[in-house]
Amino acid sequence: MLMALWPAWAQETIGFVKTVTGKAAVTDAGKLIDAQVGTPIKMGNILKTGPQATMGVTFKDNTVMSFGPDTEITVDEYLYAPGKGDLKFSTSMAKGSMQVVSGVIAKLKPQAVTVKTQGGLIGCRGTRFLVKVEP
Amino acid sequence: MIRHLKAYFIFCVVLLAAMGCAPKSYVVLMENADGTVGQLAVTNAEGDVLLNKPRTGVDLDGKAGKPYTVDENRIQRDFGEAIAAQPPLPVSFMLYYEAGGTVLTDESKALIPAIIEAARHHPAPDVSVIGHTDTLGDSEANEKLGIERAQAAAEIIRSAGLQVIDWTIASHGERNLLIPTPDEMAEPKNRRVEITVR
Repeated sequence: MLMALWPAWAQETIGFVKTVTGKAAVTDAGKLIDAQVGTPIKMGNILKTGPQATMGVTFKDNTVMSFGPDTEITVDEYLYAPGKGDLKFSTSMAKGSMQVVSGVIAKLKPQAVTVKTQGGLIGCRGTRFLVKVEP
Repeated sequence: MIRHLKAYFIFCVVLLAAMGCAPKSYVVLMENADGTVGQLAVTNAEGDVLLNKPRTGVDLDGKAGKPYTVDENRIQRDFGEAIAAQPPLPVSFMLYYEAGGTVLTDESKALIPAIIEAARHHPAPDVSVIGHTDTLGDSEANEKLGIERAQAAAEIIRSAGLQVIDWTIASHGERNLLIPTPDEMAEPKNRRVEITVR
């Protein structure tokens, strides 16, 4: 049953690429897609910018993320069903620079928005913040 | 020999200086666009560090570090490009309706150009339209009225010829009141559609 539900759930769009300069990519289920304005983002996707590239993404809960050059982020989990109380937004950042403007998930459920890095886990309680990771 | 030692010494000094200002991993709390400030909690094996003042940061090096002030130069150097890549922030509008149908109040009609203008300034806009009703009438009829209001509002934006990349159109009926009221009560502020342009 769970297996049967997996594909539909895995493919749900949770956000869209809104800005791109230079060469940026979205990896969806192992497939590398050139990021363009309008490229959909799904849970599990890996977002990458090239050495001279930037990218900005807006998610369904109004979270806005933007990445500087040579950045890699994975969207580990995204749950946005306020009616059911399902709220979670966790990402892992391997390298690069990022700005996050938190959205409805952080407003409704403090600590539900996290960024995992090698040197610590960042929990966000409704704010804008910047993260730099040098691996 | 002395010359070699001197060269070695200089090499060491340069190396140490480079290590000292080596780029490192860190996080900075920033003020929101409206001036408010939230909080960040950074957790690692050594414990928690709380940031609650804007433009303070802490290293992400696995140690329980002390927060420090991050100046504008450093923010621009390390994050200037990420900040410049920020898409326009989502904007929300509330449209209000005359009782029992999909006729907008005059004030709300006047808001339409601003909504269309906002969508024009958002790259690949995705738009959500949520319809609401007051508690007058039965809840099932209000679910239906909510979706009719949402669809009518979406149609107004659609007819402006905008290239909206994705629509979310839904009804909360009388389940999500802006002004809490008992059942069977007319309340103009509850007869609304909330439009968010992302």
